[in-house]
Formats: sequence, C-alpha cells, structure tokens
Amino acid sequence: MSAPKVVITGTGAVCAAGIEPQAILDTILSGHSAIGPIRQWDTTGWPSNRAGEIAGFDPRKLVPDRKLHKLIRRTDLVGLYAASSAIAASGFVAYRDALAPDQVAPYNDRTGAIVGSGGGNFQNQYDFFPLMSAANGDMPAFGRELADNVNPMWLLRTLPNNVLGHVGIQYNLKGTNACITNHSVGGTLAVIEAMEALRAGEADRVVAVGHETPIEPQMVLYYHRVGLLAQHTLRPFDAAGDGSIFGEGAGALMLETAASARDRGASVIGQVLGGGYASEGQGLLAIRADGDGLVRAIGLALEDAGLDPADVGMVVAHANGTRQSDASEAAALRTVFGNAMPPVTGFKWAFGHLIAAAGIIETVVALAALKANVVPGIATLASLDDGCAGLSVSAQPRPPRSNIALVLCRGFAGTNAALLVRTA
Amino acid sequence: MTSQRRVAVTGVGLVTPVGNDVATTWDALLAGRSGGAPITLFDASGFSTHIAAEVKGFRPTLVDDRKLLKFANRSHRFALEAAEQAMRDAGIRPTAEDAARWGCAVGTGMMTAEYDDLAQTHAHCGMSGELDPVGLLDDGPANDPLVFCRGQAAEGLALLTRRFGIHGYATSVHTACASGGQAFGTALKLIRRGRVDRVLAGGFDSMISPIGISGFCLLSALSADNSTPQRASRPFDATRNGFLLGEGAGFVVLEEWEMARARGARIYAELAGDGNSLSSYRITDSPPDGDGPIQAMHQALGDAGATPADIDYINAHGTSTPMNDRSESAAIRAVFGADVARVAVSSTKSTMGHLIAAAGAVEGVVCALAIARGEIPINANYRDPDPDCDLNLVVDAPRRQRVRMTMSNSFGFGGSNSCIVMRHPEEVDGRDGAGAAR
Repeated sequence: MSAPKVVITGTGAVCAAGIEPQAILDTILSGHSAIGPIRQWDTTGWPSNRAGEIAGFDPRKLVPDRKLHKLIRRTDLVGLYAASSAIAASGFVAYRDALAPDQVAPYNDRTGAIVGSGGGNFQNQYDFFPLMSAANGDMPAFGRELADNVNPMWLLRTLPNNVLGHVGIQYNLKGTNACITNHSVGGTLAVIEAMEALRAGEADRVVAVGHETPIEPQMVLYYHRVGLLAQHTLRPFDAAGDGSIFGEGAGALMLETAASARDRGASVIGQVLGGGYASEGQGLLAIRADGDGLVRAIGLALEDAGLDPADVGMVVAHANGTRQSDASEAAALRTVFGNAMPPVTGFKWAFGHLIAAAGIIETVVALAALKANVVPGIATLASLDDGCAGLSVSAQPRPPRSNIALVLCRGFAGTNAALLVRTA
Repeated sequence: MTSQRRVAVTGVGLVTPVGNDVATTWDALLAGRSGGAPITLFDASGFSTHIAAEVKGFRPTLVDDRKLLKFANRSHRFALEAAEQAMRDAGIRPTAEDAARWGCAVGTGMMTAEYDDLAQTHAHCGMSGELDPVGLLDDGPANDPLVFCRGQAAEGLALLTRRFGIHGYATSVHTACASGGQAFGTALKLIRRGRVDRVLAGGFDSMISPIGISGFCLLSALSADNSTPQRASRPFDATRNGFLLGEGAGFVVLEEWEMARARGARIYAELAGDGNSLSSYRITDSPPDGDGPIQAMHQALGDAGATPADIDYINAHGTSTPMNDRSESAAIRAVFGADVARVAVSSTKSTMGHLIAAAGAVEGVVCALAIARGEIPINANYRDPDPDCDLNLVVDAPRRQRVRMTMSNSFGFGGSNSCIVMRHPEEVDGRDGAGAAR
C-alpha cells in the first residue's frame, strides 16, 4: 500500500510585504523591499534599526475575537491569522459542519495542527518590571506583591504553543499535533511533520503553521552583537552582503490526503512532494562552510519525493544575507546541481527573516510564484559574490524550469530543511 | 503494516528531584520518598507557594566539557548529564560513519530569561516599570552573547547534538507538560520512517525560579501546603490541591529493534506506540469527561497493536490538581472499561513533583524501568479516596510483578495530549532484555 498523496487546499500568509500570498508575491515582483525603519520603538543611536514590520499592525484585523487579545502575544496574533486564512481558503469547516452529527466528532479527531513557533521572547519578561521596582530587590516582597503587579494570565500569554492551542479551540481540531520550537526551521518542519502524519495515516487533514515576531529591542541587539544583522539592506549572495534583517509574520498551509480533498470536491492548489532534514551538530551558531547539512537535507528530500535534481523548476534559497550562510548554501547548491543549476531565488530581501515562520511563508509564496509561472528576482542583488559563484540568480524575474519548487530553510543548532512542492 | 520497524529502548538516564541518577531515583520511587522541600534556589518565603521538588546537590559529573557548560543553563546541564548517562548505559555513541543516521528529539522548557539577568536589566533600564530601549544599548546581559545563547529555544538541542556528534534529524518540541511525551513520539516515528536508526530522546526543564514560580502561583496551580512539602503532591487523593513543581531531565537511547538485537544491546522495552491528540477545550483544563486524552490513549494502543487487556501499568499524568486527576480518571475508565479494576495505576509525580517539559520523558523512563525490573512504583501520599478517581492505585508498597506493557500519559497546557505505550521485550520476540531465549 503506497502512502497517500499530500495535497495543499489552502494557504495563508502575513508579513511586511502583504497580508495574503498574492499581495506578497506582487510586492516581491515590484522589486521593492518592504523592509524599512523599525517603528515599534525609538531606534535613535541603534547600530541596527531596520526590519520588515507589518504596517498598521492591527490586532482586531488579524484576530476578530477581541477576548483573545489579552491572552496571546503579537506572535500568536499573526500565527492565528495565517492559520485562519489557510483554513478558510480550504473550505473544510463548511463541509464538516454540514456532516451528519455523528460524523463530526470523527472528522475532528482526524484533523490536526502542527505549528512551528519561535518560543519565548524578551518583551514578556518585562511584564515583571513593575513588580521588580515595587519589590526593590527584596525577594520576599517580590513574592508577596506578585498578584498586585503581574497579570494573572502571564504564564498563559507566554506559552510557546498558544497558536496550536487556540487554533485547536477555534476550529475544534482534535487530531495529531505538535509545536516545534526549532528556531528557523520550525515552520518548514511543521510542513514536513504534517506531510508525514498524513502519509502515515495519523490524520486526514493537518493545518501547518509557522509564526514569529522577533522585532524587539533585546533580540535585535543580540543578533547584532553576534554579527548576524545587516546595516541597511539584505543582499543575499551579493558581494556587498553584510547580514540579515528581521521580518515578522506567519505562514500556513492546509494539507490533506488527496482522498480528504476529493471527498468534498475541494480545489487543490498544489502538492507536498517530499521533505528532508539534517543537522550539523557544531553548536548553536556554527555553520559548516561546505554546506554539508543542506546537501544531505536536499538529497533526502529528492529521494523522499522520488525526484532527480533535474526535475526542480526553481530553488527558493534560505538566502538570509549573512555571508557564512549564503556562501555555504551556494556550496551546497553547487554540490547538488553542478552545472545544471535551476533558477535560484530568495524572498527575505523583500520582507526580512521571519525566523520560525521563514521557511513556511516562503513555501506559500513559492506556490503563488509557480502558479504565476515566475521565479521572482532578487532585486537587491547587484554583483554576485565570488563565494556564491555558480548560482543561477538574477535581479530580474525569470520563468521556472518546471512547476516544482525546492524551498530551503536553515536554523540555529546547524539545522537544515528542504521541502519540495508543486502546483496542481 | 507488518514490515514496520520496531524501536528498542537501550539506554536510560535520569536527573530528578529524588536522585541524580537512575538507581537513586528508582529506589525513591519504589519507596515513595518525596523530593518536596522548601525552595532553596532563592528566597521564596513571600510567594503563596514556597515549596518545590528541586534537584539536589547537582553538579555535572559525566560531562566536564567546560566550554560546553558555559553555554548551558540549569536545565541544559540536567539534559547533558541525563543524556550522557543514557548513552553510556546503551554502550553506543554516534561515529563519523553513522552520525547522519542518529537523530535527537527533545522536549524543552519555556525559555524564560534567567531571573538574575532580568534583574540586572531591570536595574539598568527598567526602573520606571517599562523598558527604556536606549538603556539596553549598554546593559550587561543584553549585550552578552552567552546570555543570548543560553536563552535560545534551540540551545539544548545545539548542546546535545554537538556533545554527541548527532548529524541527522534533530528537533525540539514544546507542548508544555506534554513536551517530553511528544518528543518520545516524534523519535518513534523518525525510526519507523527509516530516516534514522537511533535517536537520543528526552526532555529537560527547570522552572523553579522567581519567574517560573510566579507564573504558576498566579494561576493558583501549585499546592500551597508549605508546611508539609513531602505530602503536597497527592495525585488522585480527595484532598489534592495543586501540583508540586519539580525540575530535571530524562533521556533514552532508542534504536531500531533488529540493529539493537544484532549488537547484543540490553533492551529495556519496546517503544511500541504513540498517541497524540488535542483537547481543544480550554487552554489550562482537560474536559471533565476525558475527551481528548481518551483519543490519545486509544491511538497509542492501536499504534502499538495492543488492547487495554495487554496493559499492566499506567504511569498517569496525575498532577494532583483537582481537575486533571478527575478528567484523567474518566479517560482511563472510558478506555479500559472492565480492565480498569485490574490495571495498576500510579503517578510518580507524587514523589518527583511535576517536571513540566521533562515530565513525559522522565515518566517514559519510569515505564521502561518498570518493564525491565518487574516493579511498579507507588502513588505516594494517597489516603483519602476520591470517588471520581476510583482507579487501581498502587499505594503503600510497590508491586513486584511481570509488566507486559505500560502506558504513560502527559497532558499539557494548550490542550496537547500525549500517550506512550511500551512493551516487554519477551512479548516482541520471545527473548529477554539481554537477548536470551525465554
């Protein structure tokens, strides 16, 4: 018995470049980056002060249920928004609600959610500052005055798995689930694990989500101190590249077995063909120069999908703009594709690095690009870096070689993920 | 699915509030010796709860790599030590040749900032009650890369994969109190899929800090029996009034069954089944009728090819909160039917307290030990029966019996439910843990 085909019946995305996949693709194709000055705090005197912030961030527009706003964080708002968008696009809720009453519970038990989450942030910890000021270094006083100074729901607001819990409650999803807190690869792993759950028959439908809002003072400062942030512009694979830039947002895909989609006559956007994942084990920030982990992840993904390198129509690279990552990624792509390099692009230059959401939002945008039969250009690319020689990159849009995209994603702890998707 | 790869538990490691290794912890679990005591890690006298189950007298002994430990917070140190114990116990480690066939799956804690770092930042640029971002630019902790690394969600994974040279699938999961169980479930699937042959799996956590205790005190989740810390955790007892916060780590080495047998590994148990559901009820509660946990338990049994009649021991989630224990009892009754009178149940949180993200992993190790040793640890502190929790609880003395199969439940804030089923090696291939034919 062969594993069921995994199809995509809905997508959702939000980031600085737009609040739905087509709008984000349009921004990218316009050649204008949505990265700009940070507005969430006064960055006068800051060594790095640019990011891809969601313009006019309005919690009510993202999550209509206002009661929820007190219980969740900014990162949860964007995650819930993207998940809801993908679920709405898939139309499965209307189908479920029209089922005979005794079929609804089994349907919910067979519907899961897998989320890649950034985990903790620093801003939530500052909620203790008023208490610390009141206690003035006196720990017993800190304990006594706790309830008068800190929101009783503080711990719940801080849960890294809030999007999972609240998506479940909102849509009554009761099946297989996970919250993956694996730095940048979390969102891509959510897609891979959702695909595997469907193949293994653990569920018939799974919404995969990735979300993160890393643009906060202490996070920006740390990334700057460890040398990962660019001064002004994210220029992947470029000789003038000097680092990455944060973005914020979320991406989501509604994945189903082909049978689940067929049963309700759902329109299918595309298919998840395979995934691969490998780690390098060199420490939190270390990356091997030869791209070893990425080479193995791509190899596993191709093998998993039963595809050859020649089948890949375009590569959406991690392309985060840091010299070390870009050069090792280029090395990996040379190893895999040699002289038969498909068109390579990347999207972070246009909306920043969404960390846990990066790989999944880029998968969503890749599907939109394949549908439009275009490999968007990297508009900030002026001069290919010597270390990235051999890549087929361009500042201009080009046609893809086929309707299959290889989407790459890399994270802290030397983690590397590769995902193969196609349009219907 | 006859060709499905099986998974063997071949090494175990524990750092818990009742022992910094497996043997010490096991003795305490059989005796029901509680790890509860007044908090010593900071002056908790002002909090509504000032007791916890701390790991005691801990110092990394097996892992002495000072460069690595510099990047490790308290919970990472527990993890490194317990993982090292498990690797040594299994008698196998990744080599350059097979590193890519090793995976790592861990349940990690919530990654809150260290209190001392936060207090420094507060004193420097937060005295007004709000952060002054400009002040952050010359704040100590906010410019210290070590503080950054120790606080990253992926740091535990980074330290473990580096320490042991693991180059395959490596992942951290966080579903609150279900994290450890979900890590075991993930590891099981990785080996079944054939992506890796061996996985270092576990969980680690430490929330016994002013911030961690605050979070739970604010929710009134902790027992406030401050004068009787050793009796504070009494799962399924009618007078239970909240959980006892613990800390620590539990790790296992998992191997594809045939490979483990081929190298003559000592097999504790088969990791046989995983169940995984969402309650989708409320963020903090399970539904009173056990909906959610019921599906996870059914799935785990089905996944293991087992029925309730095969299970001899349930290591309950059993947090000692009024709601959880009632809901879990209802779920066990619903799943086990008439077998509920036969199947032995205990919550080892009665002695160790609640290890949060590490709980499911530590309790998974407990199940592997129960099978391997033919001993069932007790549900300590049980005195007053609760009619809503009429289970066959192991009280007073541990049971010494053959344990064919075990079930371990872990339910988390957010509604994730994990259920892990293990099987005695003889029930798999007729050979005991050492490989001798029966």
